[in-house]
Amino acid sequence: MLEIKNLSKSFHENKVLDHINLKIEKGDVVGIIGPSGTGKSTLLRCINQLEIPEEGEAVFGGKTVDLSKKHKDSLEFRKSTGMVFQRFYLFEKKTALENVMEGLMVVQKKSKADAKAIALKELERVGMASWANHYPKHLSGGQQQRVAIARALALKPELLLLDEPTSALDPELVGEVLETIKNVAAEGHTMLLVSHEMNFVRHVANKVIFLDGGHVVEYGTPKEVFTNPQNERTKEFLRKMQLLNEPEYVI
Amino acid sequence: MAKLFDFEAVLSQLPEILKYLPTTLILAVSSMIIALIIGMLLALIKTKNIPLLKQIAGVYISLIRGTPVIVQLYIAYFGIPMITKYIYQQNGWNYQSSTTSGFVYAIIALSINESAYIAEIFRGALASVNVGQIEAASAIGMTYFQTFCRIIFPEMLSVALPGLGNSFIGLIKGTSLAFVCAVVEMTAQGKIIGGRTYRYFEVYVSLAIIYWVITFVIEQGIRLIEKKMQIPDQVAKVEISEDERGV
Repeated sequence: MLEIKNLSKSFHENKVLDHINLKIEKGDVVGIIGPSGTGKSTLLRCINQLEIPEEGEAVFGGKTVDLSKKHKDSLEFRKSTGMVFQRFYLFEKKTALENVMEGLMVVQKKSKADAKAIALKELERVGMASWANHYPKHLSGGQQQRVAIARALALKPELLLLDEPTSALDPELVGEVLETIKNVAAEGHTMLLVSHEMNFVRHVANKVIFLDGGHVVEYGTPKEVFTNPQNERTKEFLRKMQLLNEPEYVI
Repeated sequence: MAKLFDFEAVLSQLPEILKYLPTTLILAVSSMIIALIIGMLLALIKTKNIPLLKQIAGVYISLIRGTPVIVQLYIAYFGIPMITKYIYQQNGWNYQSSTTSGFVYAIIALSINESAYIAEIFRGALASVNVGQIEAASAIGMTYFQTFCRIIFPEMLSVALPGLGNSFIGLIKGTSLAFVCAVVEMTAQGKIIGGRTYRYFEVYVSLAIIYWVITFVIEQGIRLIEKKMQIPDQVAKVEISEDERGV
């Protein structure tokens, strides 16, 4: 469904993504893992052109889009993707309901009544319907993120990009957001998920990418990547992660 | 012997001065509207870092803020006719002097003066808008124009409002200099009354009262708008009916 070809992005001297190639089928939930600073977020941001890469193109729905510059198709391509940010980025001056309605009305040109009906349904799905008239500042981090997920899903994106959706949350709020994402994934949405929650990625994703130094170092099913990694870097990374999960001592 | 201070005159000449209140208000409001538009453009140019235009905006703001209003009023009043006359002469057209009223020059000078200050207020307010929300709007597929109208502007407005109120109050008082463009507004009328009665001091006291009342009303108005724009502290949870949920 989506194919990324030759995606490269540098910030000054620092090459963050180095000729990345990636293929995603419809219904795939692709987990992207890797050490900090390896361009996981940048990869997502380049796909919907929040960041403009030096080179790279996307083949999407039979159409080839040049990602390295903005043009007519950029906006259309962006409309078919949805994004969930690490820091939620809800519109502060709008209520939860208005946040979800915004794209429906402004981008999809739906009537106010239609937009409201859809928005309420989406809020209901993430369990936030009774908070519809609350402003972001009234909501906890987890609640804000659920509204943000509803905002992205309301537009029926063909591809959902999730950029570390739980990294800015208190540990006890992580659960509700992961639960929401799990439900969304179960509905068959195509998703690209950057996350540090290894266990979650392992359970929700059907493909896992290990990114290191701007390269796709490992690509396979969660089972392949997590239990039988081929690459030395992956092994080391997972070992360190495992270490964190192991008890410090056993009696 | 004549009274040292004629308090009655202070009150009795109020209506005569207030006849020119509309002139003052029209001067101030129309200058403010033009200044808001120019100021917004200047702030956007500076924030978006548009080459060349950005340098021009910088020089414009520096020049306008660095010269007194009264000088700008004189320059507009004498300078603009000179320029038009020159253009007419160059093209061999028939120039008729003093067809434009001083009112227009006063508005031009006041709005240009005000725009430089407003540009800086807007620039600060623009910088205060969280970049993430702009990204979120782009990610939804909104164009920059849509994002600006629906997300950025409402948010920057609440930041800019106190500064704008300040500016507007300054502008109201700035209109008292419009007499140099041969505009008769409240202060000019006061001077005329003073010239007639030689009670200059009383006239200025009357004017002080009027300006203060106007300013007071504006302050309250701004406070009201600020309150309205504030996000409420607490909102009750809503009960949503079954059919609204679309279940």
